Amino acid sequence: MRDFLQILLVGIGDGAVYAMLGLGLVVIYRSTGLLNFAQGEMAMFSTFIVWTMWSLGLPMWLAILGGMAGGFCVGALVHQVAVRPVGDPHEKPLAVVIVTIGLFLGLNGAAQLIWGTLDRSMPPLFGRGQVTVFGVAVAWQKIGAVIALGVMVLLFYLLFQHTKLGLAMRAVASNSESASLVGIPVPRLLMLGWGLAAAVGTVAGVFIAPNLGLGTNLMQLTLIFGFAAITLGGFDSLVGAVVGGFVVGALSSVMPRYITIFEKMPLAPAFILILAVLLFRPEGLFGKKQVSRV
Amino acid sequence: MSGAVSAEQSAQRGPREWALKVGPWILLFVILAVLPFQFPSFRVEQFCFWMTLAIAACGLNLLTGYNGQISVGHGALFGIGAYTTGILITEFGVPLFGATVAAAVVCFFVGILVGLPALRIKGLYLALVTLAVATLFPLLLEQFSAITGGSGGLQITSPQMYRGEMRERPIRLESPIAGLANDQWKYFLFLAITVVIFVLSRNLIKSRVGRSLVAVRDNEIAAESSGIPVSKVKILTFGLSAAIAGIGGSLFALDQGQLYPSSFTIVLSIYILVAVVVGGASSIIGPAIGAVFYGLFSDVIIQQMPDRIQPARAVILGVLLILLMLLAPGGVVGGVRSLQANFASRKGGSPGSDPDLIM
Repeated sequence: MRDFLQILLVGIGDGAVYAMLGLGLVVIYRSTGLLNFAQGEMAMFSTFIVWTMWSLGLPMWLAILGGMAGGFCVGALVHQVAVRPVGDPHEKPLAVVIVTIGLFLGLNGAAQLIWGTLDRSMPPLFGRGQVTVFGVAVAWQKIGAVIALGVMVLLFYLLFQHTKLGLAMRAVASNSESASLVGIPVPRLLMLGWGLAAAVGTVAGVFIAPNLGLGTNLMQLTLIFGFAAITLGGFDSLVGAVVGGFVVGALSSVMPRYITIFEKMPLAPAFILILAVLLFRPEGLFGKKQVSRV
Repeated sequence: MSGAVSAEQSAQRGPREWALKVGPWILLFVILAVLPFQFPSFRVEQFCFWMTLAIAACGLNLLTGYNGQISVGHGALFGIGAYTTGILITEFGVPLFGATVAAAVVCFFVGILVGLPALRIKGLYLALVTLAVATLFPLLLEQFSAITGGSGGLQITSPQMYRGEMRERPIRLESPIAGLANDQWKYFLFLAITVVIFVLSRNLIKSRVGRSLVAVRDNEIAAESSGIPVSKVKILTFGLSAAIAGIGGSLFALDQGQLYPSSFTIVLSIYILVAVVVGGASSIIGPAIGAVFYGLFSDVIIQQMPDRIQPARAVILGVLLILLMLLAPGGVVGGVRSLQANFASRKGGSPGSDPDLIM
């Protein structure tokens, strides 16, 4: 039992990171209706910015803020230059998929050009210590991830529910044409959404990099977990991303431990989850059901 | 403009038009036939790889270009074809090209399995599922390392006569013709298979079945109400597309003789998709052009650049893809067609090409 709890808690700690990545994906999906396959690479890129600032001697918290700012710029730029000109993702899904794949390749290659192909090491933000709760050891790093996620969710909640800017962003997400008619600068808000998503990804990257080593393929597996999280939670639900993240984290930590066939591939439960949800409840747990008029 | 009408018109226009139509093809085949004698052996080996890529892209094009279902997972199907071939030859002593046929059959059924969710999932969501398949595949190979060899690789061997006794030896495609080196023989063998697959695909697309594929892509509801069994068409297209990708993978296995999970990552899936869109989705010859472009890019042009900027290859490829989608979403073939149409309308003639005309 203690063993089980231990593994479960590790999973929940990982789940917090998947949820962070999921938040970014949801913000983009809500505003542009697009599944951003380059989200992971955007996060990887800005995590490298954090690493650079940190290794230049800046304190870690400042480096993270700098990385988020850098990530924001990358996200906003990517939206302006590459994503917006292609057009509506639901009318031209192939073109949009190709553009995000192009971004994936481009950002990955750019990171290799700038930072090389060797893995860098990054210190855990909350140190290597751990606390023992009910006889189960939990690393501070995992607790820190959950807290950071909580702060981000709170900030998003305040932004979307209690500011004019957030209201405008919600208007764009629900009907961009009408939003534009009442004078909301739609393109600028979409750009803001992309920037925010990339900034959130930075935090996810900072939490993951100490475990996996900071390399250019940091996020490629993690992204699939993030997608599994938002598929379960519903593509357009922030709450869903959080709940989905925790469930996916727990499943992919617990199942490989007890089911030998998943031993070397914690990704498999996540994959089965994506498939099952899309087949049987495509709107996820918290998502809005998509209804199309014939 | 349907195929029948254009054939009629070209017949009426006389021999000059006919020569213009057939000439380029003859020229192309002459070039293809001369190539292996003009280039050193390592280039010919690269051409063989490009052909396996072209075959996989042809399969993906039937699915994505003509049937409108996006798959970012064809690298995995390519890999299943390759590993099926390798395991059948090494463990069960199946003859080389018998294994290719078996790989196609296996991939057909795997494709149907992967395609089942596609009945309910469309567009971006299907891309997501297939992306997950592609990411999962190399991990599966590691998990079942007992039969796949895991990251240590799978050496494809078959019992061969060696110094008077039967031994397990690495497979080789030996030339039965005295004047042809092994790599040249392989080139022509692969070329023949590639041409057959492309011609069969063209015939399929020009047939009633092909038109139903396009109808499902363009408007599912309209297709359904005009009596096309939409589900059956989508599932079978997925299977067929997977089978073709599997043949590509199988030839890759025969070509390489050894297989590693690192060859079948998400990157391979991306390259196959790149070949399709660069050449031009929904044109038959497009994926072949795309595969050649990709091959020239990664095996020739990039190799000329200094080592230090090798990673720039991904950056350039990424930027090119985005530019392509912004400027010429129809790829090379689409671009040529719209130029032709432009030219024709400026001359005051009939509009030269219809977007859905099949090359």
